[in-house]
Amino acid sequence: MVNFLLRRLFFMVPTVLGITFMVFMLLALAPGGIGAGLSVQGGQMSDTSKAAQMQAYLEDRYGLNDPVVVQYLRWLGRISPVKFGERDLRNASGDRVGAPREVKPPEMQWLFKPPDAPAVVFTPITGDGQQEQQVDEFKKLQRDAEGARRAYIGSARLFKDTLADYVREAGAPWSDRLEPKGGAEPERFRDLKLDPANAKFGALHQSADDMHRKWSLAEEARQRAHIAFKAKPYPLSGYGLIPGAVYLDSPDLGVAFSKNRPVWDLIATALPVTLLINLIAFPISYLVAVPTGILAATRRGGWFDVLSGVMYLSLYSIPTVLAGVFAIGFLANKQYLGLFPVSGLHDSAASTYTFLPYWDDAGAWQMGWLLDLGWHVALPVLCLVYASFAVLSKQTRAAMLENFNADYVRTAKAKGVSRNDVVMRHVFRNSLLPLITMFVGIFPAMLAGSVVIERIFTIPGMGSLIIEAIDLRDREIILANTFMIACVNLLALLLADILYAVADPRVSYE
Amino acid sequence: MSDAKPTSSSAPRAISGIEVMRGVGAQQAKGFWADAWERVLQRKSAVFGILWISVVAFFAIFAPVLASAHPVRLERLDAAGAVTEIEWPLLANLSPTDWLLMIGFVVGVPWVLFGPKSLGRSGRLGVLTVALLQAGLTIVLAGTIAKWADGSAIEWVKQAARLPSGPWPIVGAVAALVGLVALIVPTFATRAPRIATVIVTAVIAATLVLASGGQKLINFERYIDDERAGKIRAMWAPIPWSPQYTRSDMSAIAPGTAVAENSKLAEFAGTKFGERRNWLGTDALGGDVLAQMMWACRLSISIGLVSTGISLLIGVTIGAIMGYFGGWIDLLLFRVVEIFMAVPVLFLLIVAAGVLPRDTYVMMAIIGCFSWTGAARFTRAEFLKLRKQDFVQAAQATGLPLRAILFRHMLPNGVTPVLVDASFAIAAAISVEATLSFLGLGPDGQASWGKLLSSATASTGTFVWWLAVFPGLAIFLSVLSYNLLGEALRDAIDPKLRKAAH
Repeated sequence: MVNFLLRRLFFMVPTVLGITFMVFMLLALAPGGIGAGLSVQGGQMSDTSKAAQMQAYLEDRYGLNDPVVVQYLRWLGRISPVKFGERDLRNASGDRVGAPREVKPPEMQWLFKPPDAPAVVFTPITGDGQQEQQVDEFKKLQRDAEGARRAYIGSARLFKDTLADYVREAGAPWSDRLEPKGGAEPERFRDLKLDPANAKFGALHQSADDMHRKWSLAEEARQRAHIAFKAKPYPLSGYGLIPGAVYLDSPDLGVAFSKNRPVWDLIATALPVTLLINLIAFPISYLVAVPTGILAATRRGGWFDVLSGVMYLSLYSIPTVLAGVFAIGFLANKQYLGLFPVSGLHDSAASTYTFLPYWDDAGAWQMGWLLDLGWHVALPVLCLVYASFAVLSKQTRAAMLENFNADYVRTAKAKGVSRNDVVMRHVFRNSLLPLITMFVGIFPAMLAGSVVIERIFTIPGMGSLIIEAIDLRDREIILANTFMIACVNLLALLLADILYAVADPRVSYE
Repeated sequence: MSDAKPTSSSAPRAISGIEVMRGVGAQQAKGFWADAWERVLQRKSAVFGILWISVVAFFAIFAPVLASAHPVRLERLDAAGAVTEIEWPLLANLSPTDWLLMIGFVVGVPWVLFGPKSLGRSGRLGVLTVALLQAGLTIVLAGTIAKWADGSAIEWVKQAARLPSGPWPIVGAVAALVGLVALIVPTFATRAPRIATVIVTAVIAATLVLASGGQKLINFERYIDDERAGKIRAMWAPIPWSPQYTRSDMSAIAPGTAVAENSKLAEFAGTKFGERRNWLGTDALGGDVLAQMMWACRLSISIGLVSTGISLLIGVTIGAIMGYFGGWIDLLLFRVVEIFMAVPVLFLLIVAAGVLPRDTYVMMAIIGCFSWTGAARFTRAEFLKLRKQDFVQAAQATGLPLRAILFRHMLPNGVTPVLVDASFAIAAAISVEATLSFLGLGPDGQASWGKLLSSATASTGTFVWWLAVFPGLAIFLSVLSYNLLGEALRDAIDPKLRKAAH
């Protein structure tokens, strides 16, 4: 059994890598690429050069200007529990604080010689009783480093524009190498000899000097921050395996581009909502489907069997969106019945409610927090469960029928065991097996179904998070969700196999 | 009562031994599929499903002539009211696909039903399907490539698409290429009729593409204004609306209302346009719902068939290889299958549809490419059983190529569960299309039931019931029909269930 488990867990690794790689490539190869959501943000600014600087800064910040495979490997490095390099720190609120990132010097020595890296001598505050000052100082240095880096990236972007102006002035054949927009890449002008007679020569020189100066400043600020980082203002994160090189840490899901918040925070607020709806829906679907399946099997060919079969197949044929639109339109909308709330999970005043319902002093009915919640989730849960009735009851019926034909049932009947005991104790007990596998199969289906339902009923769960992330092309959220859903799913499949072995002594994985 | 009909056809007749020897009373053996088909037709629910799908297919083919804002026949009048010119705008504006579908239906269906006896009916159906596929692929590919070449940066490619005599080099090359592919399909046993069919089809497809003059700028208002001014006399299609014809002054009109009853359009009272009705109302943009629903039939039918076709093609091939070889190839490929099973397909589809271009063909491709694992697993299971059987070993021993063993000998014996599953897959594809369109990820510029449904609940909180009920009913009936058909097929084919039913 242990052997089997290890084997299965080992095979999960390539599967998870495969699915995340596929989704990553899908996002990267799509028109507009990963940064498409960012450019929308940048485009809102009026000044185009400011927008371009902003875009360049964001691309640098999220590493979007590297090759796609490098970006994926970096993502993998963050998600992996085994990490390499310097250990991260954990600040007071539990967020990860990484070492300040390298600042690459401008690569254009064929045009302008870059300055030497500045040598920084700096002693950060350390010592007992000084922790608060040390943290404050580190935070300030971090901010400074980020600001200086931003200024440098911006000026590097401006330099590209100036170079483009210069090249345009220089005329053919140089100007033919220009891209239609986005400035000139210095990489394309390796053989360019600078000509002082060019009208833009002065501006170019000035721009290069500015860029070099800002790089020196950024590098200096980074070194300071790094020295302060090494002094460990916060406790270390994870467990070191080889000091300074390899350590274990929980997966880092990254920071959402669109919201500038750690993805884990977003998931931690959204996941309970989705789980709540699904956990309410699950027992309902079993409680309705399994008994009807049993009844249909015991009265096979009877009116109940036929009717439930037709009804469930019809229900199964209603797409979730259709059910959602009808529910929200006819049951919730004030124009029609208006019985249920249209959106959200709580009334706007729900935070003032008591937990349970009661009659207040005036004798008026007060709906408590719990009932309010139930009232709000009623329609979403309804839309989530109806489709699984058909699958579950059909499975129950088929399993029951198969067992009805078995020899042991005939023996039991011949012995004079009562009909109820035959059905419930013999047949049903033995028909439970497929229901266990179904349990696991329905879970991902419901998870997918709740994407649509949350959208229709504007519930702030995982589904809304995913759809929003796709609209904004927020890679980090989409990837983190893919990763989590895949892990949950694969573990659920494994669980089904284990349960199978537990429930049926004939099944063994030795 | 029984005396009145002594020889009822259902009552068995006594047959002597000699008659048995002569073969009297022996029933001719029916083919497996003919038998299954007969069983399917015995189920009322399945017949209902087939009928509904036929209705949808009919509208899918004839929507362009049934619902169009172009007049069928247009007479230009001079100031005195005499006819100066006669035009046929509706026919002139049909796309090559429209022509192909209509010609294929009008010529193909009678030919399949009452064609020459030399080829069986299923054989004729096969020929028609392959020919339609070949022509359709030619039209779609040629159109796409010509459009791409027109905007291309390379000068000679651009010129090829803009020759004064039309983009015939591109169309010709595509027709020839697709024809070569179609030649491989063994429609006829002998080569001569096969080549003839392929050439005729290619010529028809190329002619259709070249004859249609590309996209024209359409101004439907012109007809209305001219008609009102008495400059033209027009004969309209049964439903005189096009999905593209939207009027902002006609948004969200209730079903059955005449145009002039709308206060914004009272000026049209008494004119022919003012008497027109929107039988199923209009949407938020002011487009007629009935016309859009008719045009959307084409999307519904094609997205189900094409995406399922793609998924079957991928799934059966991979499943066959997995099942036949087993061992590490199976292990490796099953990891690939597992990758797609690790995440709900709908989630992947939402991500893919969200980031890829909003195009009908892209959508068909992604639905097909993400939902092939079911077919692969079914095929794999069947092939694992089959590969040990004698006929497969005999085929191996005679040194047949792998292709022949896999697809000619094993596939026909193992394809049944996959085909039954295909019916459910089509239902799922239609449902997925509705879902994606609802989420705003559907194809652009294409009438779709899901898109209509999504506009039923506006952001302002109003609910437009006719946008929910009619498209919703159409989606539901289509999904239900394919599910009923699949259910009937499964019961007809599954021997275990068949035994239990008797």
